[in-house]
Parts: sequence; structure tokens; C-alpha cells
Amino acid sequence: MTANTDNIFDIVIVGAGAVGCAVARELSGFDLKIAVLEKESDVAAGTSGRNSAVVHAGFNNKPGSLMAKLCVEGNEGFEKVCSQLHVPYKKTGKLIVAFDESDFAGIDQLMENGRKNGVKGLEFVDAHTVKKLEPHVGGIGAMLSPNTAITSPFIYTVALAENAAQNGVEFYFETEVNGVSKRDGLFRLTAGKKHFFSRYIINSAGLYSDRIAALAGDKGYEIYPCRGEYFILDKRTSQYLSMPVYPVPRPGLGGLGVHLTPTVEGNILIGPSAEYIKSKSDYSATKGVMDQLFKEAKELLPALEMKHIIRSYTGIRSKLVGPKTGGYGDFIIEESGVVPGLVNLIGIESPGLTASVPIGRMVRDIIAGKEELVPKKDFIAERKGITPFRELTLEQKEKLIKECPEYGEIVCRCEGITKKEILDAINNPLGVTTLAGIKYRARPMMGRCQGGYCLTRIVDILKEQKGIEPEQVTLRGNNSKLFTGRVK
Amino acid sequence: MKTNREMVCIVCPNGCRLNVFVDEQNRVTRVENALCRNGKTYAEDEVQCPKRSLTSTVKVKDGTHPLVSVRSSKPIPKEKLQEAVDTLRLLELTAPVDFHQVIVSDIMGTGADIVTTRQIAKAR
Amino acid sequence: MLINKDLIIVGAGPAGLAAAVEARKRGIDDILVLEREPVAGGILNQCIHDGFGLIKFNEALTGPEYARKYMDEADEMGIELITNVMVQELSSDKAVTTVSPDGIRSYQAKAVILAMGCRERTRGAICIPGTRPAGVFTAGVAQNLVNIRNVMIGKNIIILGSGDIGLIMARRLTLEGANVLAVVEKLPYSSGLQRNITQCLDDFGIPLLLSHTVTNIEGRERVTAVTISRVDEKGNTIRGTSKKYDCDTLILSVGLIPENELSLNAGIEIDHVTGGPRVDEKLQTSVPGIFACGNVLQVHDLVDYVSAEGELAAGSAAEYIGSSTADGCGSVDVGVGVNAEDKGPNGENPLSYEKISVRAGRGIRYVLPQTIRPGKAVTFSMRVVKPDREKTVCFKAGDRIIKKRKYTALNPAEMIRMDLSQNELKDVSELEVCIYED
Repeated sequence: MTANTDNIFDIVIVGAGAVGCAVARELSGFDLKIAVLEKESDVAAGTSGRNSAVVHAGFNNKPGSLMAKLCVEGNEGFEKVCSQLHVPYKKTGKLIVAFDESDFAGIDQLMENGRKNGVKGLEFVDAHTVKKLEPHVGGIGAMLSPNTAITSPFIYTVALAENAAQNGVEFYFETEVNGVSKRDGLFRLTAGKKHFFSRYIINSAGLYSDRIAALAGDKGYEIYPCRGEYFILDKRTSQYLSMPVYPVPRPGLGGLGVHLTPTVEGNILIGPSAEYIKSKSDYSATKGVMDQLFKEAKELLPALEMKHIIRSYTGIRSKLVGPKTGGYGDFIIEESGVVPGLVNLIGIESPGLTASVPIGRMVRDIIAGKEELVPKKDFIAERKGITPFRELTLEQKEKLIKECPEYGEIVCRCEGITKKEILDAINNPLGVTTLAGIKYRARPMMGRCQGGYCLTRIVDILKEQKGIEPEQVTLRGNNSKLFTGRVK
Repeated sequence: MKTNREMVCIVCPNGCRLNVFVDEQNRVTRVENALCRNGKTYAEDEVQCPKRSLTSTVKVKDGTHPLVSVRSSKPIPKEKLQEAVDTLRLLELTAPVDFHQVIVSDIMGTGADIVTTRQIAKAR
Repeated sequence: MLINKDLIIVGAGPAGLAAAVEARKRGIDDILVLEREPVAGGILNQCIHDGFGLIKFNEALTGPEYARKYMDEADEMGIELITNVMVQELSSDKAVTTVSPDGIRSYQAKAVILAMGCRERTRGAICIPGTRPAGVFTAGVAQNLVNIRNVMIGKNIIILGSGDIGLIMARRLTLEGANVLAVVEKLPYSSGLQRNITQCLDDFGIPLLLSHTVTNIEGRERVTAVTISRVDEKGNTIRGTSKKYDCDTLILSVGLIPENELSLNAGIEIDHVTGGPRVDEKLQTSVPGIFACGNVLQVHDLVDYVSAEGELAAGSAAEYIGSSTADGCGSVDVGVGVNAEDKGPNGENPLSYEKISVRAGRGIRYVLPQTIRPGKAVTFSMRVVKPDREKTVCFKAGDRIIKKRKYTALNPAEMIRMDLSQNELKDVSELEVCIYED
């Protein structure tokens, strides 16, 4: 296949995680033809959709590092982005809790780091204040970070992508790049039978960013996958926790320690563990870690019970440091020294979600350093999401049902999701019709019955709205078919 | 040869664990542990010709649902169950379908009819 | 606008329908049944197998046939049924808010009967390790897909849990062409009825692996294999016993949980063993005028008893409504309706005398009702902790045995019901039920 106006882009972004979508949205503000290529069936299918959903303040990162700088910047701007893009955001604050005297040194270290990184508002609080802030949590004292917040990483990434799409960015799912070549200053990316030509490649492929760099001719990076397992707790536990509670980090492992995090929807997350694994796609939960997670979480929050658990999930950190070194590397955000036009975003682990918008701006600046970028006159800065019926007042609900009776049909009883919200999710601007896509956009199947009530209804709606026969419905695209055929 | 068989009566949820005595002619001579008389009848059937109720579904065209549930009007020989279900797979009704509508009479010569157990209205 | 109703019944499954019909027979005219599905009948509509109604009607009906008997009766009585409506809120003063495509409705009831049924325990709740691919279903969802929606869920199937729905689905899927490799049960005994093991597994040569569980799920997109391991008495996996089964589907039949989100929001006290409201012998919850029956109260083995419970709740609700109306306080602002009969043995206010609490003693997992008032005949339902043979179930008041009954077989899967007469419960001030050791 040769280049034509349809498949020649100014910029191809590889990977539709939070970072790739933030870059897409940032660059969509300029007169550029942009494509995002994603190997999975939706955005945020990798690390971006599988984390603690925390907007970090930036005290954890090494002073002077890109991580520290971009995290602090990201934290400061996050609320505004969320309000522009209709993304849930809650500035809860966060506690780093000391359980014995030896933890105080760790807290001092964090306070000092935070000061150097320009994190505002950090303070030490005594046991009494901890009790007042989080009555169900133990501890002998804590550091309070007032600017730490929580969000929905999935909705956030969807929102960035949808806004980018509103501004002309094209998204290609189930498009795995398996070859890159360059001729006459134009990259040619091959994904199965599809070809894309472009002047720049933004490598935001997360766990596979080493592979994409190598395909483009920039060898020598290695991503070490480090898995973290989580539990999600029933909303009935929301009374136990109002803000993320972390133990003081212990040196060595490349994680923040098992912590408890409330979600914007009122669940609690337990996790993550930190375990270097061989495969970048092994999202298995394991018995040993599951038992350990619960045990450690119960130390933080004694009121926890096994019956509160409604689901487990895992995420994989894309780390630049291997198990021998441990700890954190720094983000790599730069144009490749050996392949001009390839912009590498490598080793974007935590706090990558928080830093995603500033990373997008850095990429913009890298490109603007090479050519003049012309701002789009008709850039749309705002995006409207799905209206969560359950959060409205009775009067508002009444009004909505009158305008659109599909708001009166509750499809998911646990989360109170209406048919209209499901329809909005199905008719999303990115054209994703997988079950997981609907789930993450509108929240059906995420409650305590895990789809026991609504799965069958959603299958009906997919047929009725999109003509998708049940045997075509997939969980996450590709070969993840839900059913094997018809009975009769 | 006289034998003694243990079986669980499936007639009702009591699930009596029957002790069944069978003579040389394969006739049931005695049934122990049955809470009611149905146990004896069940044991006799089970020894001579085990029977099961058949329940399945049949395809419906233009209905509010794509299937209607059906049953056999009485138990049929156990070994004919699978064949009967396979026969039903080939049928298609058109809505509306009535309750207790006979859709196959005397299925496979068993003397049992296949009847619907639900009503399916025509889709709007 | 507030709509007044004498009795609101939440749910038109077997419990709710039986309650509606009985309440009308008891003279309650102003009844409203609320159902979230497009049709009444509840879970019975997808239970197309037979065996329902043997006790109640002395015939083996299928689920839809059993439901229809009540639907027809309710219909003939002209009982008001609204379908496609979700109850969003229930308050302790019996205000009910609903959502439907017609809008938001607010009702005020004199009495409410909870008949919402139950939901299935999921994979997440039992923490099965492994990946999270397509191809894992709970048995009830599988049943709905196969029997109602004409969707086949898999070809090579493992079923975890030997509850009745799991057993029934093993047969159903086999007859429809699937290959059910095994039914796996963590306990050393099945949690389903014996007759279902015979006619659903034995008939088809499907192995039942007792004291085994699923210890891993594999597959990135769709299930490709599950690992099954033997467990010891404590439920811990025994090393070296794991075996991998290639399959594309895992069905879970690992328990039912009464659906009490509405009840909790109304401030109703929940029993942590049954998962349902704590009730007295009238099936009245801790909130006066709110009654519970069916699987929302306790998970049943037989629908016949669900109906019976619905009828009992309806009788109690009718009494409650009758007395509150007679007292002239049947209007919106009624706080607590007081039954003449509700009064204590010496005519004291119902709230001021002690109800007798009923304790589940040795060998009994739970007993319902949890409290009774003195001097009334009561039907108790209970479940035993583990299977046993030739044991006596015994009611004791202190050291005094007031009733006992011998069972040839006791099984946790089967609910035990025992009636105690007014006379037997006379002068009783404490009550315990236990397995009696001679």
C-alpha cells in the first residue's frame, strides 16, 4: 500500500493510554493531522486503566527529576482539566501514616522531598488528628498532603481522547504496530495489513515503549514489567475511608506500598502489590498476593472483612529500573538521538497519570522546537461526558425522564445506571462497542453483582441499538467473544 | 438373580434414598425407605424403563422473546431425552404462542406431547 | 404528588405474587405490586425445568407454570401490578419512591412487603486467582442467556459449586450440546438437592468433584483453561493435587445473597447469617409495618415455601393495616401502626415488652424467625451446619425439651421446617433449636 492523503499524518501517536491521549489532545490544538494507534480495543486498556486512580502531589519523587516537576505541575492543573472535560475529580487529601517510631524518619524525608519539589501544604499531624480525619485508621502520626486528589483514570483518558477526536484526531483500535521504516523523512508504520505514514512518531506505548523505539531503530531501552494486584470493595465500605491512606514507603521495592484509596464512586481500592514479572501481558491475580494484600490492608483498616471484596484487578507498571536496582527511574521524554522525528515517552509509570497533561505540553514544545505550530482557530476545549443520573436531585431526574424516558429505565440496579447512560456509552465518539468499553464509560457491571443483573440487558441494547448480534459481542475486542453462538 | 439396588427417588425434593429389591425377572419385590407410595412406582420405572420429564425450549419467530419454554406432558424414557431435545431444535414457531399449546403430539412414539409452558406475545 | 396505598409489595416473583393474592383474600383492596422486569414471575421464568409445586399443588410444574398460577390469580383479582419500575428508595415510615420511563413516583404505604429476591455471589467475592477473560458466568446469568435469550455461553464447561442452579445448568447445557467436564464443589458434600445430583449429573455421567475448587483461571481474551485442586477440611488447597482442564467457560454456582440494599436504606436490621432482615413470627422486620418473605428473607430450596412465606407476610400485613385503619391512624402521618394482637400478654404496648429471641444452637446454622412473641403458634425454618443421618432436631426452653423430631437425613441444602403450636410455646421465655445428641 502506498501513501495517500488518507493515511499520511503529521503525527502518529502509538498507544492510547492517558499519556498518549493527553498528547493527542494537546496537539489537536494545532493544525496537524494526527492519528492514535492502539493495539487494544479501547483507550486506557493497559496501565492507565489499572492503577490507584490517585492524582499525586509530588512529594514522593526525587527532587530535580522530571517525575517530580511534571507531577507537581500536573497536580496543580488537574482540577481544571477535569472540569473542562467533565471528569470526576475530588480533592480528598492523603495521609502517609506512621505505625512505629522508625517511620518518622521516612515522613521527614518525604516532607523534605516535598519542600524541594515545591509541593504545597504538607504537614505533620499527630495521632489525634489522624483519628479525627480517618476514624477507622490506626497509626501514631501521619503526613497530610492536602492537594492529593482522586479521579477516574478511565473516564479521564476517555475524555482526553474524545476531546482530541472532537478536534480531528483519528483513533485506530486493534491496530498493533509491528513494523516501522523511514524514507524521505516519512515514517511508515505497519500494523497488520494497515499502513500509516507520518513525519513524527510519538512513542507512548507504555509497557511496549521499548519495543516501539526498537522497531523505529532506537534500540537499547528495556521496560521491566512490575505487576500490582488490587481488590475493589463494596460501596458499603465507603464510610470507612475519606482519603487515600498509605503506609510510609519502605525503601527498595518500586511501589508505594499497599494502600487504601477511596474511589470517586465510593468504593475502596486495596493495593497494589509490587512484583516483577516476566510477561508484559500477564494480568493474573495470584493467591499468595491476594492473601497478603488483604492482610496488609486490614492492618491499615481493621474494620475490613473478606465479604467486602467485590472484585480484583491487576495493573502492570512499566519500569525502567529492574528488580536488582529497585526504586524509580525517571521519565524519558525526548526526541530520540538516533531517530529524528521519534519522540520517546518511556518509563512513564506512576505518577504518569498526574503528569500526563504536562507531558503533552512537553511533547508540544519538542515539536514546536523543530517547526512552527499553528494554533487551530476552532479548537474545542470542552467535552461533555455522560450525565450520571444517580447523582441528580429528584427534580432533575424527573425533568430528564420527561425529556428522555430512557433515563427512567434502570439497567444496572447496583450502581443505578439508566438505559440512557448505557446508550450514551454505546454511542461514544470513539466508536467502541465492547462490553468493557461500556462498563468503564457508564459503570454498569461495576457494582456488587458484577453484571448479574445488567449483562443480559446490555446484550439486548447492543442488538437493538447497533445491530450487534449476541455472538458478536466481545469483552475487550479481538477474540474475547462473550458467547459461542445460539442455542437454537 | 436377586439384587438389591440403592437409588435416590427424584419424584419430589425429599429425595428418599430407596433400597430396592429386584427378583430374577427384573421385577421390584420390595422398596424400603420411601416416605410415600410414589417411591415404589419410581423404583419400578427406574428398574424396568427409567423415565424423565423433558424440559427445553423451542425457537419463536417474531415474538417478544426468541424462545418459548416447553415440557413433555409426562415423563419419557430416559434414553430418548437427547434425541427429543435434538428434534425440538429443528422446530420454529411463530408468535403469538399460547400457554400449554401442544407443539408436538406423541413425541417419538412415547405417548407424551410437547407443550409450551409460557405465553409468547407477538413483538411490536 | 404522593399516592397513598394500603399495601405495597416490592417484587412480583413467587413471594410477592403469593403475598398479593393472599392479602386480597384477607380483604386488602388497595394493593400495589412493583416489578422491575417487563413481566411478573421473577426468576421462575427462566427456571424452565420441572419440580416446582409438589408440596403446594401436588404436581411437578415448571417454573413458568408455577408462576402463571399466581399471575392468573392476581390478574383475576384485579391486583394492580406495575412492571418496568425500579424502587429507588424505601423509608422507615414506608414511603416508596420509584423510577420508571413514566417518571418518578412517590407512594405512601400503610404496610410494605419486601419480596426482592436474591442475587448471585460472583467470582470477585470468592477471590478466584487468575486472569479475567470472557467466559466466566454465574449460573443464573447463564440460565437466563440460554433459556430466555437463545444465547449459548460455551462449548467446554466447568461448573464451580454444586448448588441447585449449577446442577440444573449442567443438564441443560449438556442437552443443548455443550460438554460439561465436571461440577466442582469445595465442600465434602453437595450443596444441591440429592434428586438433582441424580437426574442432572448421574444421568449424564458428569463427574461431581467434592472437596475440590478452582484455583486458577487462564486465558487473555476468552477462558482457555482452569485449574482444579483438592482442598482439605479447612478449605486450603492441597499441594500437588492440581489438574488443569482445557475449557472455554467457567460457570459459578457459589451461593445466593438476599438483595437487601433497599432494606438497609430503610434502616432495617439485617441478620448477618441469613443475609436477610431479622423478623418475628409475623415476618415483620425491625421496622414496624415492613414485612419480608421469600429469598430476600432467607435463601430457599423450594419455591413452595417461598409462596407460603409470602402468604404469611401478607396475613400479617393485612392485620397490621386493619388495626392501623381501625385506630384511625391509617393516614400518611402514621408512625407505628399498633395491632391489638401486637400487644403483649398483658396488653402492654408492643414495643415495651420483650420478644423472645430464638437461638440457633449446636448444629443449626440459623433459625427463622429470630424473635417470637409468647403464646403464638409459629412455623420455624432452619438449616443445619453439615450433613448428618439419624439425628434429632430439638427445640428447648432452657433445659426443657418442648419439641423434637427425628430425621433420617439432614442436609444443609435442604431447609427444615417445624411447626410449634401455641400450646407448645406457652410459658416459654427463651428458645433454642439444636441437633439433639442422645
